[in-house]
Order: sequence, then C-alpha cells, then structure tokens
Amino acid sequence: MAVKKASLKEKYRLMTRGLDWETTYQPMDKVFPYDKYEGIKIKDWDKWEDPFRLTMDAYWKYQAEKERKLYAILDSFSQNNGQLNLSDARYLTAIKLWMQGITPLEYAAHRGFSHVGRQFRGAGARVACQMQALDELRHAQTQMHAFSHYNKYFSGFHQANHMRDRAWYLSIPKSFFEDAMTAGPFEFVTSISFAFEYVLTNLLFMPFVSGAAYNGDVATTTFGFSAQSDESRHMTLGLEVVKFVLEQHEDNVPIMQRYIDKWFWRGYRLLALVGTMMDYMLPKKVMSWAEAWGVYWEENGLALFNDLSRYGIRLPKYHEIATKEKLHITHQAWMVFYTACPATAFHAWLPQPYEMDWLSEKYGETFDRFYRPRFEKFGDLEKAGKRFYTNRLPLVCQTCQIPDFFTEVDNPMKQAVRHSEWRGMKFNFCSDGCKDIFVNEPEKFCQAYIPPQQIYQGNAGGARTLAEYAAWLRCGMGTESGDYYSSDDYANWLKWHGERDTTPSSSAAAQP
Amino acid sequence: MAFQLTIEPLGETIEVADGQRILDACLRAGIWLPYACNHGLCGTCKVQVLEGEIEHTEDASPFALMDIEREEGKCLACSTVLATDCIIEADIDPEPDAANHPIRDFVATVTRIETLTPTIKGIFLGLPGVGLDFQAGQYINVDVPGIEGPRAFSIASSPAARNELELNVRRVDGGAATTYLCERLKVGDTVSCSGPLGRFFVRESAPEPLLFLAGGSGLSSPKSMIEDRFERGETRPVTLIYGARSLAELYYAERFRALAARFANFTYIPVLSEPQAADQWRGEIGFVHDAAARHFNARFEGHKAYLCGPPPMIEACIRTLMQGRLFERDIYTEKFLTAADAAQGLAKSPLFKRL
Repeated sequence: MAVKKASLKEKYRLMTRGLDWETTYQPMDKVFPYDKYEGIKIKDWDKWEDPFRLTMDAYWKYQAEKERKLYAILDSFSQNNGQLNLSDARYLTAIKLWMQGITPLEYAAHRGFSHVGRQFRGAGARVACQMQALDELRHAQTQMHAFSHYNKYFSGFHQANHMRDRAWYLSIPKSFFEDAMTAGPFEFVTSISFAFEYVLTNLLFMPFVSGAAYNGDVATTTFGFSAQSDESRHMTLGLEVVKFVLEQHEDNVPIMQRYIDKWFWRGYRLLALVGTMMDYMLPKKVMSWAEAWGVYWEENGLALFNDLSRYGIRLPKYHEIATKEKLHITHQAWMVFYTACPATAFHAWLPQPYEMDWLSEKYGETFDRFYRPRFEKFGDLEKAGKRFYTNRLPLVCQTCQIPDFFTEVDNPMKQAVRHSEWRGMKFNFCSDGCKDIFVNEPEKFCQAYIPPQQIYQGNAGGARTLAEYAAWLRCGMGTESGDYYSSDDYANWLKWHGERDTTPSSSAAAQP
Repeated sequence: MAFQLTIEPLGETIEVADGQRILDACLRAGIWLPYACNHGLCGTCKVQVLEGEIEHTEDASPFALMDIEREEGKCLACSTVLATDCIIEADIDPEPDAANHPIRDFVATVTRIETLTPTIKGIFLGLPGVGLDFQAGQYINVDVPGIEGPRAFSIASSPAARNELELNVRRVDGGAATTYLCERLKVGDTVSCSGPLGRFFVRESAPEPLLFLAGGSGLSSPKSMIEDRFERGETRPVTLIYGARSLAELYYAERFRALAARFANFTYIPVLSEPQAADQWRGEIGFVHDAAARHFNARFEGHKAYLCGPPPMIEACIRTLMQGRLFERDIYTEKFLTAADAAQGLAKSPLFKRL
C-alpha cells in the first residue's frame, strides 16, 4: 500500500508544534490579561482551526511579488497621465472620500490587529491577527500611493491625516473603528473580521473597485485586486473566529449575538457613505445601492445567517429596517453632502439629467416622488444664481455620528430622531439601532467626541462660522470645497480636455 | 470530453467535464474544497497541481494567483479547467478511516423483493463471483430501465455479504425511477450498477460513542453500519433513533430490538410522528430530533453522530445536535447532491464545510 501523504494541515502542525507554550514564570492570566473580561469562555484553544497556514517566509515572498506588480502599474498609470482617462473628474470625489475616510481605517485595522495579535491566549489566533495586521498596513500604504498621483492635479488629496482629525464627516468612520479598537479582543475580531470583513465586505469593496474600473481608474482598480487577494485570509479568519467562539461554550452565544447585532448596524450605517458613492459620486454607474444590498445582504447575508441559526444565532436586529431603507438612504445622504459641501474636503453637485433618469429607473417611485422634486428645486435655485448651501451645523447621532437626516422607515417625510437620558444628560440618535447600542454601553458612548458640539464649544480653532471652520480644516471654496461646477477641479478638467462648460444648469449637459 | 481528477490527500477520483471548473466539479461530487469568492479574486481555493495539465481561465486574478505561484503549479480551483487527467493536492482533511474501495461497473440480478412497509421495498441484488467490496454506509448507482441517468441507493446490507446487496427503495409519488423499482421490477431481472460510492461511513478510529439518526428509507445505511459494527465486536455505546410516520411505516423494528437484547451497548429508539389509534403505540412520539433531545437531555457533546434521511429531517437534527453542543467535526450526513442542489450550494455560505 502506498504511503499516505500528510495533509497540508498536518505538515503545518508538525512544522509549528512546540512554538507556543504555557508560561511558568508568570501566570497565563497575567500574560494575557484581556481575553477573559468580556465573558467569552474558551475551554480549549487547541480546537482553533487555523484558517490559513502560511509561514512568514512565504508571506514575505507573496506580498513582495504583489507589490512589484502593483507599483509597476502605478508607475505606468502616472507616466501615461492616467488621470486624463478618468470618466470625469467628479469621480474623484469618491476617491477623496475614500482616502480621507477609509484609508485611515486600514491603518486603524493595522493597529487593532497588532493589539489583539498580542492578546489572544491561542497561538493560532495570534498568528492570524499578526499577519492581518501586516496586510492592513500594506493596504493603507498602497492606497495612499495609488491615490497620491491625483494629488498633483486635483484638490482635496493633501493631508488626509489632518482631515481625519478635523473633518466633521470623518468622525463617522473614525469613531466606528475606535469603538472596535477600544473593545475587548473578541469584540474587535467579531466587529472587524466577521461583521465588516466578511458580512459587509462586498458592499464596501465592490462599488469601490468596480467603480474604479468603470471610471477609468486603473491605479485604484489594481490596488483593489492586490488587496482582495489578502481578503481571503481576512474572510476565513472572520468565519473561524465566529465558529470557534460559538462552539467553545454556550454562554458565548448571547454575547456573540449582541456583538453581531451591534456591528451589523454600525457597519450598515457606515456603508451609507459607500452607497452614496455608488449612486451619486460615480459618473459611470456600476449598480445601485439597492441592487447591491439585494445581492450581498438579502441573498448572501441571509444564506450566512441561515447557516448561523444552527448555532442559535438569529438575524441581526433591525436587518429588516436596513432592507426597507435601501430605497432612501443614499438620496438623503447626498442631499446633505450637496448642501454641506462648503465644509467638506470634496465637491458635491446636482445629479446630471442622465443620472436623474438612472436614479428613477433604479429607485422608481421612491426617487421620483421624494427626491427628484427636491433636486429639481435645487436646480431652479442654481439657475437663479442662488445655489443653496446650509449654514448651520447638524444634530449628530451619538452612536454613528451621522447627521440626523435619516427618516422614519415607514414615512420618508418624517425625520427619525431618538433620545435617551443617562446621568442627567440627553443624547440623540438617528435610529433605534443606534439608540440600542448606546443603551447597552452608555459609559462608553457618552464620551463620544461629537464634532458639532465641539465646534460650538470653540474646539475647532475657535471657528464660529462654517467658513471659519472650513479654514481650520484648511479647505477653501472652489479649491477643496463647494460645488463641483464652480471648482478648480472642474475648470482644469475642461482646460485639459479642451472643452467648454457643460454645467447641469445649461441644457447641454453631456454624459461622460 | 471528460477528464479524471484525483484529489489528494483524499485519494478520491471524480470526473470533470470539458470546460468545467475544478471547484464546481468537486462540490457537485460532494467533495468540499475551501473557497470564498468563487470568481478568481480572493485565492481561498488555491490548490497544488501534482500531475497533469490544467488551464487557468481569465478569471484568475494575477494577485490572487501570482506568476511565481503559477510556475510552482498552483491554481485556483474556481478558475481552472483541465486539459488532461490531473492530480491535485488541496488543503482538506484526510479521512484515515476511509477504505477507498475501487469503484466498479457491474450487472446484478434481482434475487428477492420484500415489502418492508406500504411504501418501502427491500430489493436484493445478487452479484456473481467475488461480489462487491464496500464500506458500510456507502451507496451504489443503479441504472433504472427507461430512466435517464443513474439513481443512487444506499446499501442496507452488511459488507460481510459481498454477493447479495440489499437496497431499501421508497416509492416517491410521481418518481418514475422508484415507481419502476417498486412496482415493475421482478425477481430475475438484471440491473446495471456502479459503486461503491460516497464518504458516509463510521469513523472507526474515533473513540466516541456512536449516534445514528435515521428517517424513512434512510435506515438503509445505518442498518448496514450498525450490523457491521456488531459483527466486528463493537464495544462503544451505539444508539439508533429511527423515525417513521406510523407503525405501518416502521420497519426492521424486531430486528433492532433483538440486537438491543443481545448487546447491552446498543440502544434502539423507534419514534413515530403520526401514530394511528389502531397502532396502540406506547413508544416515542414526534420527530427524530425531538426524540434525540429527550433521550440525551439535549446534550450531545462527546458523540459521533451519523445522519441519514430526508433533507428536512437532517436539517432539524443538525440544529438539535449543534444546539446540544455537537458540531460539524462530529456530525456526518449522507447527502445526494443533485445538480440543482450543487448550484444552490455555491450561493450558500461557506460557514460549514460538509453540513
């Protein structure tokens, strides 16, 4: 009989055995002080199944190869003036928002995984987190490099780190990740590896990478492929974490359910920015937010939760609200960006006629009945030379930090606001989902640093008006901020292409 | 034309159609490979080609499968087609207890037909010569005259009887093949078969007590497995919970009661879901998973469970077992994947490998 080949798993086990040990000079509880306080019970770390078996040696080899490929394409993009082949400079609003909002999250993920990569008692989990920490650092760096070419030609790409600290809308992604990083190690991996990297990842990456491909952004598309090849490890880690924890002890099930409820809702709220990217910022559309939600959540997500229900895990709380809201949130968000763009480091604009028709086609009655009339009203004001800008700071949700512009799920004419009292203070929320999260952890969320409050308290360089606030952001109308069609970006774009003004207010708006 | 693909470390060989992706072929044949995106971007399904020629399709991203990896003979199962017969090595667990009997085509003669219940027939197939080597729990494919494509039936008899295989066939309403087998097949007829097939067998080297959950004609595999165990002097506790609709549909009850009387480590629990008044049934009432939860006080840790029966029964049992703290690594099921099931399987989440 032929000698049986050892499986890859067995080979890896033989290669790595004995590399971890029980400490004797110090008790294990002191060496790993953070992996018990959440109440998650781990009976046997040996039941952890390494979701991938990669040695550092192979890791460096593969990642170096990916870098070589990526940077060759970035160089060629830049040498060939790739920026001129974009569908339209409006596309770059998506990239600016990504660079300001999401790239810092990649770096935050690097920090978060470095932290938990030290804190888990099980060596398998530690190694998986350490490798992911390196991936995330690579993603942050390669994104910045991919985008840096645009900084030579367009406004708003300078000082993303400065924007991250100061821009009101960037507290949305920033607070999301800081919430995860300041949680226990099991909550961190559930929030990031499972809820974000597994359940919601396609909704984040698909519009970004496909959007880049559709709009001629070869640099970002290539970055996307390079990152996505790391995502297989991240996704399998997310699944392994959840299975492992649920199987270790039945007392873990309600804790994990609470984490899943919380991070589904937090992730979903964050994705409102991405949905707006898909529906409004991409001049050439890939698919609508509602369609993406249908495929990636209503099909794939529900299939996953059907499997998870075997463990006694139910669908995340308020998932049905998220599904009903899919017809509304992106329009509401873009309306806010359109009116608030004097205080953002990117431009906004009215959808062009072809885009209004696309939105009608994708959203039917919802768009035509509730949102088109408002855009048309804004259009009338533009034609009359009275482009509408908001001049006040919004009420912001204490949990997700998104301005309170979402509406009641069954009444899109009524703003949804929820309140909660805690230690004599009143807190405001955009939804029941965000209110529940606060009520579960008021000690944590009462400390949230809410930009409008801070600005009014003089903590934005003493700014008293939106213009002063924008100056403190180092943004100016027409350069980084304000309407696209009165921006330098637009004027330059026309100049480089030898074209004339085709603002939507003139009837000859062209489709890119 | 089709190619043969052998998957190491399982040693299992399957057929891959021209232009068919390796991953698709494996999942349809009931062999799980790790996968996630299923379109060449993530790299989760990377496997090593040991022998043969493959073709990477355009789907395989140059980042998910880099040039150096292509040179090393790696490929993405979701984005690879075969150019010749191949052997691949995948990151899956080997099965030390698999006997890996060779698959043969053979012609069998019907020797006996017994009416086991109003809907289930016991069909006995005589094999000439050396008979068939198989592992208890496996199935054979039967070509039913006049029916396109073979039908799979588990072997209900013990592997000790190599020259006569027993099949339990339930007549499915409107099912052409089972109607033919139950109503038209006669003693002396010959049928073309191939087998043995399937990876449903007792994990003999595992020390845990054995729990069999079966429903309807899904008793066939567990019957073969249990008889085989006791012929070989099984000493671990073995429990069979068998569900039928009514007393008339309960079969081989006396046989299992006799076995339980003979072996102290064997427990037999028949359960009826709709007992009739005339049945005067004093045993367990409900579904198999209900009876299992009652008998084990809803705690299943430390067992190996073998499930065989209709899909709703299997799903209900998996849920009961998992909520009773028995998980995928200790649960084995017999699944016949149709093309439609496999297509759905890809849309299913990759949370579970086999269940």
